[in-house]
Amino acid sequence: MKTTSVEAKEQIEVQAAQAPARAYAPLPDVADEMVDTQGDVRPVWRHFLSALERMDETDLAGRFARADRYLRDAGVFYRAYGKEANSDRAWPLSHIPVLIDEAEWEDLARGLTQRAELLEAVVADIYGKNELVANGLLPPALVASNSEFLRPLVGVQPHGQHFLHFVSFEIGRGPDGNWWVLSDRTQAPSGAGFALENRVATTRAFSDVYAATHAHRLAGFFGAFRETLQAEKSAEDRIAVLTPGLANETYFEHAYIARYLGFMLLEGEDLTVVGGKVMVRTVAGLKPVGVLWRRLDAAFADPLELNQNSHIGTPGMVEALRSGSVTFVNALGAGIVETRAMLAFLPNICRQLLGEEQRLPSIATWWCGQKEEREHVAANIERMVIGPAYSTRPFFDDNEQSVLGSTLRDTAKQSIAEWLASDGTKLVGQEAVTLSTTPAFVDGKLVPRPMSLRVFAARTRDGWQIMPGGFARIGAGDNVSAIAMQEGGSAADVWIVSRKPVERTSLLPAEEVFTRNMPGSLPSRAADNLFWLGRYIERAEGALRILRAWHGRYAEYADPEQPLLKDVSDYLEALDIDTSEAVPSTLIRSIDSAVFSASNIRDRFSPDGWLALNDLAKTARRFHVSIQPGDDATRAMTVLLRKLAGFAGLVHENMYRFTGWRFLSIGRYLERGLHMTRLLGHMSGEDAPDGALDMLLEIGDSVMTHRRRYNVATARLTVTDLLALDPLNPRSILYQLNEIKNEVEQLPNAYSNGQMSPFYREAMRLHAGLAVMTPEAMTDAVYQRFEAELEKLSDILAQTYLS
Amino acid sequence: MLYDVNLHISYLYDTPVSGGRHIVRVLPLSIGGRQRLVAGTVGVTPGPGERVDHNDFFENPMSAILFRNAHERLDIRMQARVHVDVPEPAADFSPRVANLPEDIAGYWSLDAGSPHHYTGPSPRLKECPDIAEYARSIAKPDMTVRAIAAAICARIHKDFTYDPKATNVDTTPREAFKLKRGVCQDFSHVMIVALRSLGIPAGYVSGFLRTIPPPGKERLEGADAMHAWVRYWCGRVNGWMELDPTNDIPAGTDHIVVAYGRDYADVAPVIGVLKGYGQHKTSQAVDVIPVRQTA
Repeated sequence: MKTTSVEAKEQIEVQAAQAPARAYAPLPDVADEMVDTQGDVRPVWRHFLSALERMDETDLAGRFARADRYLRDAGVFYRAYGKEANSDRAWPLSHIPVLIDEAEWEDLARGLTQRAELLEAVVADIYGKNELVANGLLPPALVASNSEFLRPLVGVQPHGQHFLHFVSFEIGRGPDGNWWVLSDRTQAPSGAGFALENRVATTRAFSDVYAATHAHRLAGFFGAFRETLQAEKSAEDRIAVLTPGLANETYFEHAYIARYLGFMLLEGEDLTVVGGKVMVRTVAGLKPVGVLWRRLDAAFADPLELNQNSHIGTPGMVEALRSGSVTFVNALGAGIVETRAMLAFLPNICRQLLGEEQRLPSIATWWCGQKEEREHVAANIERMVIGPAYSTRPFFDDNEQSVLGSTLRDTAKQSIAEWLASDGTKLVGQEAVTLSTTPAFVDGKLVPRPMSLRVFAARTRDGWQIMPGGFARIGAGDNVSAIAMQEGGSAADVWIVSRKPVERTSLLPAEEVFTRNMPGSLPSRAADNLFWLGRYIERAEGALRILRAWHGRYAEYADPEQPLLKDVSDYLEALDIDTSEAVPSTLIRSIDSAVFSASNIRDRFSPDGWLALNDLAKTARRFHVSIQPGDDATRAMTVLLRKLAGFAGLVHENMYRFTGWRFLSIGRYLERGLHMTRLLGHMSGEDAPDGALDMLLEIGDSVMTHRRRYNVATARLTVTDLLALDPLNPRSILYQLNEIKNEVEQLPNAYSNGQMSPFYREAMRLHAGLAVMTPEAMTDAVYQRFEAELEKLSDILAQTYLS
Repeated sequence: MLYDVNLHISYLYDTPVSGGRHIVRVLPLSIGGRQRLVAGTVGVTPGPGERVDHNDFFENPMSAILFRNAHERLDIRMQARVHVDVPEPAADFSPRVANLPEDIAGYWSLDAGSPHHYTGPSPRLKECPDIAEYARSIAKPDMTVRAIAAAICARIHKDFTYDPKATNVDTTPREAFKLKRGVCQDFSHVMIVALRSLGIPAGYVSGFLRTIPPPGKERLEGADAMHAWVRYWCGRVNGWMELDPTNDIPAGTDHIVVAYGRDYADVAPVIGVLKGYGQHKTSQAVDVIPVRQTA
């Protein structure tokens, strides 16, 4: 009975699945992922397709919107280097996943595992015994003329013996249904983090379908890799993702992977090499690093022994590798096997090194540095893509340096032959393959779009593991020749579907055994950015408060020459703030600087905090061009203050109370203390214009408190008491010094050998110096002294922790 | 000839630098059948926090030094006793340039002396159409590799003016070629690019030149600092030969080799990365003293 009902259900699904399949027309003579050559929907797709069939337009639109909203909220972006300014682009998700049957995938995985082993053996030989060249299997010119052949690394045996730990492959399916490898990535493969985000976003859209589909989860793959890396190093060593920095096109992913796996996110300048050991500069001093998962190209890793023009490297890194103290994922120099011409030699090398045929072929490739191969390419030019031999990018992704042979049709055969002969060593011919198609949702219906898959492999303690999934590049049009992928397109999730339920792993530790890991030491550069984020945010708030009070009064007096307005304008002018602009550019700059500081430490921020800060910056820029002085500006400042409080609130409520938080807080307290000290010095003197004291109370958000506490009209001494010396008023100077003192006490190395650090001592001294003051004693000169001392405190902090 | 060579390189910093890491390549090589380092030391003051000596890919000795403390000046001193005896070059059995690719392709190795390292672009030397055109105008198809190299060497010496003010350490061969001026580094770089454009593997030699002028002859230029010249590969039989385009002579017993590389970047005497602000002044003093004539 049970079997029958399953069969009946399948029958229904087959019928339902055929409905859209009728509307979905694969291209002639092109393999399709969803529909087989008979025109039937493949079994692995049936459940998904019938579910899709049951969704109406509104439902689907809602689902896609959920996925897009997730990506937007998570801040998933990639950086596009355009003709105009570089900009962050939203991640282009094609919402329909690519479904692949587990059995077929296992076959692919075996082929890719063999390939990873082969690439490892090739890299090890090039940087080791060099037998491939000696035995005539690899032309020496291909290695020697290659910019990824890093001579200082020759003979350097990697710590842990392996060169490759994490690689990716771009694969495509030909018209006969078989898979080809289009290119290998061994330098610093990107996309694994995007694959994770694709998965989360796609399951937002199809949570119900996903739950009922036995699709393999991705977390287990990352978990196994993390465990392997942890085993590579000694207990006290850190693991870090080494990023080229914020300007890199996949910086988001670097931060994402670091956060996801709990690794530090570092740049070259965070590191230094001492005694052959790589150390990270942290606020608690130098700490050892055992594993660097690098996302920067190898040549930039060391300006001393590699690319001397690199500004993002660490001098001495090659020295550290020679002393075998650090594992690079992947080894510096491993990028050499990405070389396109290398594909021509892999089949033979595989036979020789592994004693077997390649399970998964590369696209046919001929290096034109050899006579016979060159003649073959010239004779078959119409079926070839001609491109640079040493390029490490696949031909559909190399800024259009590759050309389709058939477009040279009108060129004389003779001149093509001459070109290949004269520039032969620099050229390869590759078979102009076509790709398979997969359904994409375009203008309300499913249409076939060409696709290639990026698949990831990680070395684990049990050998290579292939990520069960990956991400699919979906072509923009319906041109299936692989080179058309140059035109860009979108990315889709890949579901590897099992016939039985799959194991659900999660990267969270099991409940019964856990250790509470304290966050690792804070890198000095991150502390610097947090400190300045705090200062810039507070600087913006200070300016906003003064400007709101100013415009409120301007709306009343309508005369900027009115004594109080003039006086405050002069004060602001000294801070480079121009009151003739309703929303001054200096204010915008403070907010932009805060955004910049925050963007350098995005791995430490919740997406909510990041969004709130960006929203503040966007609003401020909009107001800058649209707001008029007076009432309009007063309202605008209120909006900005509320948004700023929103960001501060998110940070305050959500940020883990550890070292990073303390630097952010100290930045804010210090800036607020400076702001109030300057302001009181300027506006609470005997000669201050009428109304200055009331304005001070308004700026210091203390009007109500003053009324309750003093029962008298505003007077110089009461205002001074409340805004400078009241330890309970969160805007008073003393309050800031008190908080700074408390935070400093918790910082690393506040005491050394039982003695206070110079910074701690200075913070204590400053606090005590103000705590014993009386309102009468707070003269202009005293304020000036405190202002100078606060600035000095900032300098000592920078010297102690941030360099 | 037996020489005593003294080198003193100093850096004076405007403001103290708080640390730094350098790679130093100043010690003469030992080369079988030609040059033998009898004794040599490289000293550095202030005393570095760390120092590691080893040979680089091209088998040049190098010292990696690290400073942890702030310092206002850095002195590098090298003293060496070197025995040099360069035999007269044999008769020209080098192939014609058209036959050279076959010889190169037959060299199935990537050892330090492999011509394959010296054919293509290198860190400082990109292809340059103007220099390639210049090289083509000098080389005739029936000339041997050695004849071509000698002709290019002579032409550069004739067409270029030695002028230390015209260029600096970062001048590209393209710029130097436009100016037709420069120092030994520029002459050598231009000649290397020219040779490579014709398919002749060519590299950079850094070293010292004997300072005392032979009686009755002009003093050789470039002798008061470290010197540079060119080596090129002329086939399996002849191997590597060396020419000095600054003086239009073959590198002989007056030339003391310190390092071989593809271009200046591979053999720069001092490469450093410092933490600090402001400018620095560099000075270099070289003495090459013939101790005695040897048989």
